[in-house]
Amino acid sequence: MSDLDRQIEQLKRCEPLTETEVKALCLKAMEILVEESNVQRVDAPVTICGDIHGQFYDMKELLRVGGDCPKTNYLFLGDFVDRGFYSVETFLLLLALKVRYPDRITLIRGNHESRQITQVYGFYDECLRKYGSVNVWRYCTDIFDYLSLSALIENRIFCVHGGLSPAISTLDQIRVIDRKQEVPHDGAMCDLLWSDPEDIVDGWGLSPRGAGFLFGGSVVSSFNHTNNIDYICRAHQLVMEGYKWMFNSQIVTVWSAPNYCYRCGNVAAILELNENLESEFRVFEAAPQESRGAPAKKPPPDYFL
Amino acid sequence: MEWESDERELKAAGAVPLGGGRVGFLIGGWEIETAKRSILNSSLLQQWEEKLQTTHLPEMVFGESCLILKHVNSSIKLHFNAYDALCGWKLEALPPVEVPAAALWKFRCQPTDQVILDYDYTFTTPYSGSAGVEKSPESGRGPPGESICSPHWEDCEEQIDMVALSAKESILFYDEVVLYEDELADNGISLLTVKVRVMPSGWFLLLRFWLRVDGVLMRLRDTRMHCSFRESTEPVILREICWREATFKALSSKGYPTDSAAYSDPGIISEKLPMAMRKTQKLIVK
Repeated sequence: MSDLDRQIEQLKRCEPLTETEVKALCLKAMEILVEESNVQRVDAPVTICGDIHGQFYDMKELLRVGGDCPKTNYLFLGDFVDRGFYSVETFLLLLALKVRYPDRITLIRGNHESRQITQVYGFYDECLRKYGSVNVWRYCTDIFDYLSLSALIENRIFCVHGGLSPAISTLDQIRVIDRKQEVPHDGAMCDLLWSDPEDIVDGWGLSPRGAGFLFGGSVVSSFNHTNNIDYICRAHQLVMEGYKWMFNSQIVTVWSAPNYCYRCGNVAAILELNENLESEFRVFEAAPQESRGAPAKKPPPDYFL
Repeated sequence: MEWESDERELKAAGAVPLGGGRVGFLIGGWEIETAKRSILNSSLLQQWEEKLQTTHLPEMVFGESCLILKHVNSSIKLHFNAYDALCGWKLEALPPVEVPAAALWKFRCQPTDQVILDYDYTFTTPYSGSAGVEKSPESGRGPPGESICSPHWEDCEEQIDMVALSAKESILFYDEVVLYEDELADNGISLLTVKVRVMPSGWFLLLRFWLRVDGVLMRLRDTRMHCSFRESTEPVILREICWREATFKALSSKGYPTDSAAYSDPGIISEKLPMAMRKTQKLIVK
């Protein structure tokens, strides 16, 4: 068994790698990712997965439902880290699979694959807690910069973490973005990772936060028409039922973190496309408690005031 | 997860489990119950949007979760739920808070057909609990809308005895219920929760609205209620409402940290945020 296979087995047991191993893995991953296009070509059949957010045991449930990699060809739409308890193990397992089977798993970038966001929402603290230093966080966030921004399945289905951008009308405009950087606060790259479809606008909407685009049905129609695609598949937003079609099946949201934050009680979904691009959603629930290693401890009584 | 208390202690305090799959106890003449359910599904969310006449609700609405405290003899019922809290948000309708990146976005080339949404995405609510007197004392559940008369909160001089509450009296029942939560699209947090603890001497609860818009502001709206168990028929419930708020700019000028990671828990900063409003009230049953 090669070192890499041994590492994959170890990560599947939710045991993190050593700092040196992470460094070496990231270097190898970088060589592969740097060659990928901003609009990475993916062949069918493929199974598309949405946000994971460090919910390692639920991702194992996903792999049980969807089948193991490399037998199943996977496309993950980003947001591997933050919020859950096991961002380190989750991201490293996906990355190790990427290095081992580069043509059987595609990872694209979510808005959480960023230095700034991970410092607020958990991944940074988790690395510091598990390794006693921020080196692993540095190696991982450096890799984030190399992750592709989108994928195109058989030239027919466009996949991205967040959504569209008013600065982008053709896929070629995505192809020329210089992606090897921290996610910017504005511009096309930012929009692809952050924007949301919105029922109540038809064209473009601006979030009440003053930053962040919302796009309506006509924007999606025109993008799909211009680029000759059937529909857009994206993640980024929690959906209680695991997936949600909008605008006459021109865009679908896929959410793959069941019982999000360990308390929402939502189901998750993955989208399976066969070689004819016929789609089937596989809906699944959170991994049972007993498969999660250590049992959850009862909280002590809280003398809140 | 529910805190499981010592059975002997419960027995000694005369606490009787509610049974029938319900979480909570009958103690000191009060039925105290929590319900923790999943977030609303898409069709319920849509129904709520129609009822509340809004197009936006928090990402996670725990619409069927609640805390209920019912005084059995007087049928006074205190109820904490997301729906009433969101009615309060809709009525208050604060103007939106701009995030730091908004300044940058003003200089961006904007699409011509752009619509600017302007609802209060922070879901700030003045909610401090619902109270009613129940028509049919048999039914312990259901919203307080079915009440025939609503009890009245009157300003008072008395204060909740925080010193007594600081004593490590044994806790017979403890629970925390999230009513709604929104991640502000990764720009912070908006969270409404209610915690309750029941001791042999009485119950105490904290309803807390916590808002952090990263790099902009923090807002805390706390409602505390306390009631001692006593023999008399009419319970005395004290309620303290305290609102606090500060901008990150103001915190920075006082030398406090300004990175959001330092404020994952409002407990760390709550006492340092300047008070915007505070009042104590007593529940009078008419």
